[in-house]
Amino acid sequence: MGHGMASTPTPPPTPTPAADADKRASFEREALVHLDSLYRVALRLTGNPAEADDLVQETMLKAYRAWHQFEQGTNAKGWLLTILRHAFINEYRRRTRHPETVDLDAIEPFSVFEELQDDDPQGTFFDRIVDDEVLRAIDALPEQFRETVVLSDVEGLSYEEIARVLEVPVGTVKSRLFRARRMLQAKLYDYAVGMGYIKGSST
Amino acid sequence: MNCRECTEHLYEFLDRELTPQVEQEIRQHLADCPPCGEHFDFEKLFLDFLRARCRAHGAPAELKLRILRELFDE
Repeated sequence: MGHGMASTPTPPPTPTPAADADKRASFEREALVHLDSLYRVALRLTGNPAEADDLVQETMLKAYRAWHQFEQGTNAKGWLLTILRHAFINEYRRRTRHPETVDLDAIEPFSVFEELQDDDPQGTFFDRIVDDEVLRAIDALPEQFRETVVLSDVEGLSYEEIARVLEVPVGTVKSRLFRARRMLQAKLYDYAVGMGYIKGSST
Repeated sequence: MNCRECTEHLYEFLDRELTPQVEQEIRQHLADCPPCGEHFDFEKLFLDFLRARCRAHGAPAELKLRILRELFDE
């Protein structure tokens, strides 16, 4: 299972100068173009630029070694993200953040839209919130929500692709996305109230 | 389609994950129901905002060089 992986392991083709050049060209064209995406995801997973660098480098190395197993024409971005996530789980998560256990029922689906009805129904306060604040809010999410929201809202993967990378059912992707987005809205709303960008109805 | 059914499909609609038929039913409801229309507009604005804020940065240039060196021994 997995993105574009052949079901039986194919032995690597015999290296010749022409085959090497072909491999390099196709890897650059189909894999290296996703470097920015891999880095953004790695940074949100590790929370640390130096570890994100190492994780992405390791991912690219593994992907290059396994390149003959990638089915040309299938989704290279999903395939690479799967490799990255496995590397993260196996080698980085132990040393960095711990996977949190999350009580799903404890999360109230707080609707910011309803809170803003009297104050800022168009959500213009978003314009005043800078990149770093949004990234901080994402980083504060429990890992399973963080990775789902990053793959969807930052990297634009479909539910099906996210389900394959995270190895969970599509229904789980949907419910995590719903809760993750609500949690983010609530955090950013609280931040905007704290900064005085909006009044806040409860205070 | 009523408001509750429409709202249940909120994110699937914005993420373009619905069949054309359900998508059309939602469009129709949103056209007929201004409160739902405003709610969907707000959520779309939020998702566009998230994406714009998070995609500003990519991989550092040194990392790309490091990877090229390692892979192709440049």
